Amino acid sequence: MTVRRTGVIGIGTMGQGIAEMLAYKGLDVYVVEQSPEKLEAGLGQIELSLDKQIEKWALTQAEKKLVLNRIHPLERLEQLADCDIVIETITEELDAKKEIFERLDQIFDASVILASNTSTLSLTELASVTKHPERVIGTHFVYPVSKIDMVEIVRGLKTSDDTFERTKHFIEEVTNKKGVMVFESPGFITTRLICLFINEALHVLEEGVASADDIDSAMRIGYSFQHGPFEMADRFGLDSVLAALERMFREYGELKYRPSIVLKKMVRAGHRGVKSGIGFFQYDKDGDRI
Amino acid sequence: MKILVINAGSSSLKYQLYDMTDESVLASGRVERIGMDSSIVTHEATGKPEMRSVSEILEHTIAVRRVLDILVDPVNGVIGSIGDIDAVGHRVVHGGEAFKQSVLVTQEVKLEIRRLFDLAPLHNPAHLMGIAAVETNLPEVPQVVVFDTAFHQTMPRESYLYAIPMVLYRRHKVRRYGFHGTSHAYVSAQAATYLQSPLESLKMVSCHIGNGASCTAIKDGQSFDTSMGMTPLEGLMMGTRSGDLDPAVVPFVMNKEDLSVSEVNSMLNKHSGLQAISGLSSDMREVTEAMSDGDKNAKLAFDMYAYRIRKYIGAYAAAMNGIDTLVFTAGVGENSSVLRQAVCDGLTFLGIELDDKRNNERRKDVRTISTDSSRVKVLVVPTNEELLIARDTFEIVQRQLQTQ
Repeated sequence: MTVRRTGVIGIGTMGQGIAEMLAYKGLDVYVVEQSPEKLEAGLGQIELSLDKQIEKWALTQAEKKLVLNRIHPLERLEQLADCDIVIETITEELDAKKEIFERLDQIFDASVILASNTSTLSLTELASVTKHPERVIGTHFVYPVSKIDMVEIVRGLKTSDDTFERTKHFIEEVTNKKGVMVFESPGFITTRLICLFINEALHVLEEGVASADDIDSAMRIGYSFQHGPFEMADRFGLDSVLAALERMFREYGELKYRPSIVLKKMVRAGHRGVKSGIGFFQYDKDGDRI
Repeated sequence: MKILVINAGSSSLKYQLYDMTDESVLASGRVERIGMDSSIVTHEATGKPEMRSVSEILEHTIAVRRVLDILVDPVNGVIGSIGDIDAVGHRVVHGGEAFKQSVLVTQEVKLEIRRLFDLAPLHNPAHLMGIAAVETNLPEVPQVVVFDTAFHQTMPRESYLYAIPMVLYRRHKVRRYGFHGTSHAYVSAQAATYLQSPLESLKMVSCHIGNGASCTAIKDGQSFDTSMGMTPLEGLMMGTRSGDLDPAVVPFVMNKEDLSVSEVNSMLNKHSGLQAISGLSSDMREVTEAMSDGDKNAKLAFDMYAYRIRKYIGAYAAAMNGIDTLVFTAGVGENSSVLRQAVCDGLTFLGIELDDKRNNERRKDVRTISTDSSRVKVLVVPTNEELLIARDTFEIVQRQLQTQ
C-alpha cells in the first residue's frame, strides 16, 4: 500500500506537528477540528512553525508554500473518506476518542487504518467500539514531531499483523522514522520511562537536594539529555505529565507512579510550562527560555 | 534510429525524443507533480504548438506511459507506434567510482546505482524509478545510463582526495566526484571542433555557470580537476549555494545558532550564494539588474560571484601549467555578457583579452568572444546535455547491435 492521502483529526500541538511533518514529506493531509476557530488557530500555528524553520534556514519560502498547499482543512469527518490512513490526535480523553472511533469506523471501509496518537489510553478499549478492531492501531509520535524520528507503534489486543505491517511501512518508508513495536500497556515505553524520570526529579527537588536548575544541568550535561527533566516537563506541558502519571498510577496501582505534590500544585496554579509561559522556568511566546 | 532521453526526478520527468539520423529533436516535454492527482504534462512537438494537460499521475510508470501515449498521439504525436523508439537514454547524477563512462543498463548496473543512493539520496532513487518505469513500458528496448560524474573519473588522486583521514575514503568513499560532467564533456568537445584542434592538445577551463555552477580543468582531453566535490556544494558561489568555505564554519554556526544537521545543510544549499548576499534573488539576471540600478548588496553579490570564478580559472591555469582555451556555458555563462566581462577583465595577465563587441553579441551558436590577438581563446559554447546523452545512447546501442 502506498499512502498518498492522510487524515489528521484534531490539530492541537501533536496534530499540528503530525500534519506539518506529513505535508513536508509530500503527502496530502486532510485535517478536521471541532470548530472552524480551532481549525484556523491550528493552521495558523503550523504556519508559524514553518516561519520559525525558515528563520533557521531549514526551509525556503517556496517550500513553505508547498507544504501549506498540501494541508487541506475539512469541516466534517465524513469528508475524510478518501484517505488511506487516519490519525486521531484529539485530547487524551477516553470517551471523546471512543466517540470519534465509532464514527470513523462507520465512515471508512475496513481496509483503511485508523490510528490513534494516544500515549496512555488503551487501544483495545478504543477498538472495542468499532466493528473492525483489527484495523485500529496506535501511532505514538513524540514531540517535536518533525525532529524526533521515532514512533511507537502500539498493538491493541485485536490489531492484525497486516495492519501493523502496513503502519510500520508507512512510518518507516513514508515518514522516514524508526517504528518501534509496543504491545498495549499504559505509557508504552517512552511515556512510562520519561514520566518516572520527571517524577523522581520532582522528588529530588521536594527533598531539597538540589535546585531545579542544577538538577537539569546535572542530567543534561552529565547524561547528554537535550533538556533536563524540568525543562522537558515544561515542554511536554505539566498538565500532560500530571495526567499521564495519574493514569499510570491508576492502571498499575504502584506508588512509584504517584504524581509529586509539587507537580499538582504547579498545575493548579496554572503553571503548565511552555504553553502558559511559566512552569519550572519562564518562556517567551516562541517557546524559548527567558 | 530514434532515441528517447529521460531525466527523472523524484516528482518530475523531462524527456526529449531524438531522430539520430540528423540529431534533430522531434519532441520534448516534461511531467511535473508526479504522485499527485493534478500532475501536469507539458509537451511540444517540433513545429507544433505546446500542449498542456492535467491528470492524475501517481507514479513514474504511469508518467512514462503518458509520455509514450502522447508521442504516438495522432494529433500531437510524432511517431507512428511505440515500436519506433529504438533506445532510451537516462541521465543519472551519481555514478560513483564504478562508472567511468555511459553504459547499457543491466541488472548489475541497476544494483550499482542503488548502492550509490547514499551519495545521491535525492537523485539516484528517482533515476532508478525512471529506469524501472521504462522497463515496464518498453521491456524490449535497450536503455543506457549517462552519469554526471563519469567525465570527472579521470581526475588524478591529487585532485580528488580530501586531506582528511584516508579511512573515510575507504569506508564511505568520501572524495571529490564533480558534477555537470555531461555538460563539460559536451562543450569541451564542441570547442575543440570549433577551434579545429584536437581536444588532447588544448589546456582548457570550462565554466558551466547556471543555477548550479562549476569549473573544470581539461588537460590532455580529460577532466583534470573540477570545482564541485563530493556533493555539488563545493567550489564556486552559486544561486543559493555557498560554494567553498572554511569547514570549521559549519560546527561553529551549528553551535552558535543551535542548528541541526539538516538545518545547516539547507542553509548552505538553499539559503546562501547570490540569494544570501544580495538579499534579493538567486537569479543572476535580477541581481545584475539591481546592480545597475545602484543596489549595493547586489553589486557585492555579483563581485563575489565573479571573483570566485576568476580565482578558479587562475588556479586551474596553474594546475595545468597554462591555459589556451576558456569556455563559458549554461544559462548564466551563455547569456550574461556582464559576468563574462567581469571575470575576464582581471585575467589579462594570463593572456585573456575580451572583445567587447563580440562579448555583447547575442547568438545561439558556438562563438569566440576574445580578440584575434588574445593568447587565450575565450568561447561561448551552448551546452546540450540531452544531445550528449542521445549520442552516447546511440553509440552504445549501435555497438551492442554489431556485436550480436
